[in-house]
Amino acid sequence: MTDSPKIKLNFRKCLGNFTLAVNCTLERKVSAFLGVSGSGKSTLLNCISGTLIPDEGEIAFGEEVLYASASKINTPPEKRRFGYVFQEGYLFPHLTVAQNIRYGQPSPRKTSAAVDVLEISELLQRYPKELSGGQRQRVAIARALAMEPRMLLMDEPLAALDSALKDRIIPYLHHIKDAFDIPILYVTHTFSEAVALADEAFLIADGKIAASGEPHQLLTAPSAMPIAQLTGVENILFLPVTLSDKILGVTSLEIGNQSLVIPYTEAEVGEVVPVAIRAEDIIISLEPELPISARNTLRGAIQGLDTKSERTWVSILVECHHLAVKITHEAREQMELREGREVYCVIKASAINRLWD
Amino acid sequence: MRITPAEVAALSLSIKVALLSLVIMFPPGLLIGWLLAKRTFRGKTLLNTLVMGPLVLPPIVSGYLLLILLGKHGVIGGFIYRAFGIEIVFSQWAVVLAVSIISFPLLVRGIVTGMASVPVELENAARTLGASPLKVFWTITLPLAYRGIIGGTILGFSKSLGEFGATIMVAGNIPGKTQTMALAIFSAVHLGEDASVYRLVLISTVVAFVALWFTERFTLR
Repeated sequence: MTDSPKIKLNFRKCLGNFTLAVNCTLERKVSAFLGVSGSGKSTLLNCISGTLIPDEGEIAFGEEVLYASASKINTPPEKRRFGYVFQEGYLFPHLTVAQNIRYGQPSPRKTSAAVDVLEISELLQRYPKELSGGQRQRVAIARALAMEPRMLLMDEPLAALDSALKDRIIPYLHHIKDAFDIPILYVTHTFSEAVALADEAFLIADGKIAASGEPHQLLTAPSAMPIAQLTGVENILFLPVTLSDKILGVTSLEIGNQSLVIPYTEAEVGEVVPVAIRAEDIIISLEPELPISARNTLRGAIQGLDTKSERTWVSILVECHHLAVKITHEAREQMELREGREVYCVIKASAINRLWD
Repeated sequence: MRITPAEVAALSLSIKVALLSLVIMFPPGLLIGWLLAKRTFRGKTLLNTLVMGPLVLPPIVSGYLLLILLGKHGVIGGFIYRAFGIEIVFSQWAVVLAVSIISFPLLVRGIVTGMASVPVELENAARTLGASPLKVFWTITLPLAYRGIIGGTILGFSKSLGEFGATIMVAGNIPGKTQTMALAIFSAVHLGEDASVYRLVLISTVVAFVALWFTERFTLR
């Protein structure tokens, strides 16, 4: 795999009261921009694709400057050759799937590669309105890939799909990552998607880049708590499998010297699986032995408390993993939770979800 | 029912003028419709007002303004008369002009409605796929706006067929030369030729409803 060209983004764009101001360089193959809706993610992609012109600054792809306010450079979108996959797909309704894919006048070889990777050869003669949501997104991705883009811009390509469909599309995105040697800029508001796909992640809030780094670090460090609040994070852990029992319907994961039981998932013993736990699904207990049905009671120590918002965010260190837990201020006061205090995290097995591998 | 040669002449003039006006006004209609639907620029409101003006002005007023402009001493008419020795007023060209000015807003309105209904995101998607603005216009905007365009075309055409006020001002009511269907009905009523009135009214009604039927057919699902 060749080195991906670096993408330099340093520009400002005002839209009404909202200002997007970014200054960053994308160096890895798949970069994820994470942020809630309204944080400026789509504006960012529109500026990169050239369909929106920034107010000032510079955008460069490798050595090639695509936009520079100082030297009045602005390459129109049709000359940038960036494949753009929209959340809503935006397939041309009056054209068949085949005509949609050929719209960018791709070479037949690239077309068939895109059609193969996304497994849409059965759909070529249909019109967009005859496709399901998942099929539509696959066609949209194929259309963007077929034009031989230098980079792929993906704006929440999975947001319009339900979670079962997402699980089915994610593997296609992995295929693309391997089969097409181009940088991908992936915009999402879902942590798990970013973790599943990206090599580097940028957190975007209120039109600015709030944090950046390796997705795993960015999303699991205690400093991610404010990020968690912004994006409705799940805790994301990467844990090895110690036992998997199909008949009992459970899989055991190792978390330091303790174990975490999750619903059965197909995995080899020793395999590391990513799991997500929502902050509000964790109960804090002061006692280890409770007569309750929840399968997991993890011992840990409070690392930090954040009381600035309407709930208290508690960061608990369990072995070497940080868990973000969301409780009411009342619960915190009554339980007298303080930094350093030993507590138990009670988690139902069914509240733990395996992420895509 | 026997149709007289004068009535045939009026009917064929009406249809000829309406078709000719459509052919002449369709290209600028597309351009102006596209500008109004898809672009922001200085003077957009002014352009809109100028184009839509004849829709709110009494046709007789539009006709009078045209008469002033096109007359032998008018700004445009004077120039043409001096340059080519042609007098527009009270000619068949005057009928075409009057009819075009009056029906143009309906044509443009249909085109604007059609083009405004095409999401700009689809056009942007086409741009990112390598299409120039012109290619986007031909392959995305135009085909997706076709209902509005056909609707505007048929409404404008029907309006042209029945135009009265502006036509009589600039072209007069010369049988066999500038007398359209509407003007022929007006004359027949004046002269008390009831049988002729009935025939002309019947023909006009049939033509209008056929046009309406086409509009519905192409613009409604």
